[in-house]
Amino acid sequence: MTLLPALMQRSATQARFVLLGSLGLLAGLQVVIVGQASALEETHGFSRMTELVPAFLQRGLGNKSLLLVTFKGTVAFGYFHPVVATLVAVLAIYFVTEIAHEVESGLVDVMLARSVPRRVVVTRSVLLATGAVAAAMLLMAAGTRLGLRLFGSPEFDAPSAGVTARLLLHLAGVALCFAGFGLAVAAGARRWSTAFTTAALTAVLMYLVDFLAIGWPLLRPIAWLSPFHYYPALSILAGDAPEWRNLIVLLSAAAGFGALGYWRFSRRDL
Amino acid sequence: MGDCAIQAEGLTKYFGDVIGVEELSFEVARGETYGFLGANGAGKTTTIRLLLDLLRPTRGRVTVQGLDCQRQSLEARRQIGYLPGDFPVYPDLTAAGYLDYLARLDGRSVSRSYLDELLARFDVSAIDLRRRLRDQSHGMKQKIGIVQALMGRAPVLVLDEPTAGLDPLMAQAFREMLDILRHRGDTTVFLSSHVLTEVEATCDRIGVIRGGRMVATGTIEDLKRNAARRVTIDFREPVDIGTLPALSGVELTHHTGRQWILSVRGPLGPVIQALAGHPVHDLSVQPFKLENYLASYYAED
Repeated sequence: MTLLPALMQRSATQARFVLLGSLGLLAGLQVVIVGQASALEETHGFSRMTELVPAFLQRGLGNKSLLLVTFKGTVAFGYFHPVVATLVAVLAIYFVTEIAHEVESGLVDVMLARSVPRRVVVTRSVLLATGAVAAAMLLMAAGTRLGLRLFGSPEFDAPSAGVTARLLLHLAGVALCFAGFGLAVAAGARRWSTAFTTAALTAVLMYLVDFLAIGWPLLRPIAWLSPFHYYPALSILAGDAPEWRNLIVLLSAAAGFGALGYWRFSRRDL
Repeated sequence: MGDCAIQAEGLTKYFGDVIGVEELSFEVARGETYGFLGANGAGKTTTIRLLLDLLRPTRGRVTVQGLDCQRQSLEARRQIGYLPGDFPVYPDLTAAGYLDYLARLDGRSVSRSYLDELLARFDVSAIDLRRRLRDQSHGMKQKIGIVQALMGRAPVLVLDEPTAGLDPLMAQAFREMLDILRHRGDTTVFLSSHVLTEVEATCDRIGVIRGGRMVATGTIEDLKRNAARRVTIDFREPVDIGTLPALSGVELTHHTGRQWILSVRGPLGPVIQALAGHPVHDLSVQPFKLENYLASYYAED
């Protein structure tokens, strides 16, 4: 079976600059965040920052909001910072929407005029997106470790390995959920820009819905629609988040959207 | 599997209210080179895309080597070597890298010696193979496209505008390649083209599609026989048009006292017999030109 490796190798080679750039940025950001947190911890800056936490966050999140002004919370913030969360999602969307680019450019004609099953083309994109998300998670964890080694101190209260793993798993779940959504959109799209922009803007919008719902009661009834709703980072940090429930919701949504993507692409006119 | 390499039966594809093709039925025999002609938007590419299962028919079916292009899609596509009308490339790949990639997708083994033979025939040098496709000319990309369609020795070749962008020398090399395949007899070629001299020179039969429907099909000889010819008759002195008897397949398209211009379908014998006794000075029959024949169909689009 040489089809899938051949397709994956071609796509990965083509996307190498986007992939390496994004992974470098995500890992580098963790090092910088740990460096910043260490500097604040060394100068006892966190104690002075408590009053800087916005009032709506304190009202919406209660005492958990104060975790943001601790060394542990700031280091962990690298895993749920809006730029990080949306960048990981957009990276996954980039890979799954490749099928729309192939339809637009006509490359799909040359591929599928051969005895290449349509599902293999979709599987290629799914595997690459999953691989990119997994690589991002590993490199972000490595970035944190590197930052702690470079700037940290054994006395600092860093997030435990278990908490880090749970945060990363939930972030990966959110990214895969958007990957599934992006696939469902791209599977019926004729233009890459349409598919990519739709999915990426949805990710940004969903982040805003979840974030603004903290302080704006009007948005709370629809906050459950946002995948970010199932990534309660501060609760995970505080140790009172459900163990698996949110992750199951995220992965089920990813699988549902993914299945829709397979189905649409198998039936569509190219 | 029968003698048909390609067989379409009532093939219909609608894009909403727009007709792609409608009730299209035709057969291409094994080993035959079939020219598929039509104006832009007539339905040529739609037919090809239905054949490759890139489009799904609204109704009807099409088979390749007896395999249903939708139900046995993979097996059917394994029989086909395809050159799209606008051959897409990965700009970052070299020509050699692209051929290697497509060979890996092919599922058929590609003989190195045959590939070298094709590259030599189409004048693709080792330097050309090492250059990235973004830096190649349109003609060179087209040559790579032809090579990739031929390299798997597929029993059925589907070629959409194969010589577009090729210089005359390479277009000639392509025609020679088709000749070789035709003489070998094991390859069926389904060729869509606007270059009528090429079609006339290479195709055993042609089909003409207009508005998504097949309007004519047959050998060039068949078409010649059935096509209306323009017959011009000059008389030494004015002749009353009333003396021309009603003849089947003959229409008067223009006349002056000393000249009649007739459109004649079928044999010329009855016209010549009818002219016996008339003071005919000259009679000329415009030779059959595929171009003129098709223009009558194209003009109606």
